[in-house]
Amino acid sequence: MTEIVGMSARPVAPPTVLGVGPRHLAWLLVVPLAVFLAVFLVVPVGLLFITSFNPSSLGPPSVTGELTLANYIRFFERSNFVAAAGRSLLLATVVSGITLLIGFPMAFVIARARRAAHATVLLILVLAAMQLDMVIRLYGMMVVLGDNGLVNRMLAGLGLISAPAPLMYNFLGVVLGLVQFALPFMILTLVGVVRGIHPSLEEAARSLGASWWRTFWRITLPASMPGILAGCLLVFALSISSYIVPALMGGFRVGVLPIHIYQQVAESARFQFGATVAVVLFVISTTAVLSYMRVGARRSGGLA
Amino acid sequence: MGRAIPLGMAAIATVGFCYLLLPIVVVVLAGLTAGEILTFPPQGLSLRWVAAFLQSEVYLAAFLFSFRLALMTMVVATILGTAAALFLARGNVIGRQAMRAFFLSPVVLPGVVVGFSLYAFFIATNLGIARTIWGLWIGHVLYSTPYVIATVGAALASCDRSLEEAARSLGASPLRAFRRVTLPNIAQGIQAGAIFAFIVSFGQFEVSLFLSAPNSEPLPIAMYNSMRYKFQPDAAAAGIFAIILVTASVLLTNRLINIRRLIERQEP
Repeated sequence: MTEIVGMSARPVAPPTVLGVGPRHLAWLLVVPLAVFLAVFLVVPVGLLFITSFNPSSLGPPSVTGELTLANYIRFFERSNFVAAAGRSLLLATVVSGITLLIGFPMAFVIARARRAAHATVLLILVLAAMQLDMVIRLYGMMVVLGDNGLVNRMLAGLGLISAPAPLMYNFLGVVLGLVQFALPFMILTLVGVVRGIHPSLEEAARSLGASWWRTFWRITLPASMPGILAGCLLVFALSISSYIVPALMGGFRVGVLPIHIYQQVAESARFQFGATVAVVLFVISTTAVLSYMRVGARRSGGLA
Repeated sequence: MGRAIPLGMAAIATVGFCYLLLPIVVVVLAGLTAGEILTFPPQGLSLRWVAAFLQSEVYLAAFLFSFRLALMTMVVATILGTAAALFLARGNVIGRQAMRAFFLSPVVLPGVVVGFSLYAFFIATNLGIARTIWGLWIGHVLYSTPYVIATVGAALASCDRSLEEAARSLGASPLRAFRRVTLPNIAQGIQAGAIFAFIVSFGQFEVSLFLSAPNSEPLPIAMYNSMRYKFQPDAAAAGIFAIILVTASVLLTNRLINIRRLIERQEP
């Protein structure tokens, strides 16, 4: 405190971080969050890694120094866990692709809106949908896609089907739900990227006689590539981690990694093996996140 | 570009926006249905399920629990996030980019894994907060703080630093310069960040899964537990209130800060 008072007497301010104090005092601003994350994120996840190497035992989880690879051997020897990992990877890849195909045009419409007000309205819609509790959105999805849902009744009413089409409680249902979940993240990543493309690039191509689509394929799309990659990796990481969508839209019939984690821990009380499945998921997801940060660091917007 | 957006692209975008909004419209209609069981389209409109929600011991309690938890989360996330954003915003700290990435990372980490590790951590350390509102609170702060950092960070990036330097060179103490010049400039960013933190906590599901107890459930968990067995129109009515809350929050945020600029902002 005396130092702060002392410094204010100087006629010209020395470089400070936001004027809160000299550099070494500014560090205090970051201490609370750093400590919070260290205690409640780094340590628990670190203990989870250790737990995954502890021998299986029943009862409440306690971390021991006894280390073994048994849980990992079990994971990779059981075909249903390997299949779950494969299914999770396939699911996240398919969802990334579909979300990109739908999300890019949506982001493009927002980024190139003639009036700023239009873009703002569309962004508010996207943001409100994104912030709304996923369980509520899935309630709506299930009403639409269920056996007695809107789509099946319409198809039956038109005489196109005699039995309800299975749109839910299968892989397709989980994909449809995850697309609903992930679309806003893809859009928010891409809007900033499309806005960032300098118009003169496209104008130059157009004035040299290129058609709209040719300009799009040769100029706009390549220039958006870093954002597209970042968006896909983000959506991949988010969809592979989702529990609620496979649980409700898959009706526990689509066994993905998050479902297995919950079943191992909450239903079978196998903490150590549950930790192993969790570590596998964590490693896959963090790999995608780290790649996202590498490609996306300079490209993505403030929130996505 | 010389031409407006081509038809094919506009068509896909329209389908996409409908897909995004359709479930929300359906929930509103489902909560207002006059019928006994949920059907679509609804058999006339009524407020009976809204009334049922307001008298429901499960959903109303869960709604209020979520509201309280979101308020608690908002306070801490706003303080932690604003302080960190101030630190990250300026000054050439070594590893600033890596630190920012670390602070924002919880948003994209798998919530089930983080929730499970927190649950195991609370039990192993005998803190006595596993499956209590305090444990949930910690989990929610992890997931809400990044939104505060991003929003306040954007406000700081667009606030002219030379104003503060001018105040300093005129003899204002660093604290005074901050309070009188910088803080008023970013106050709306902080408020917007606080609102984001509130809604993120209010809608949080994955991290709550392992941390909530049967008698004190946040709304998403309570809805999920009932939806596994059957559709309750009063759950949809609870959804309507959540939709109103989220929509109002986003509109309020848009009055405080320019959402468009926040999204379109490019990292320097």
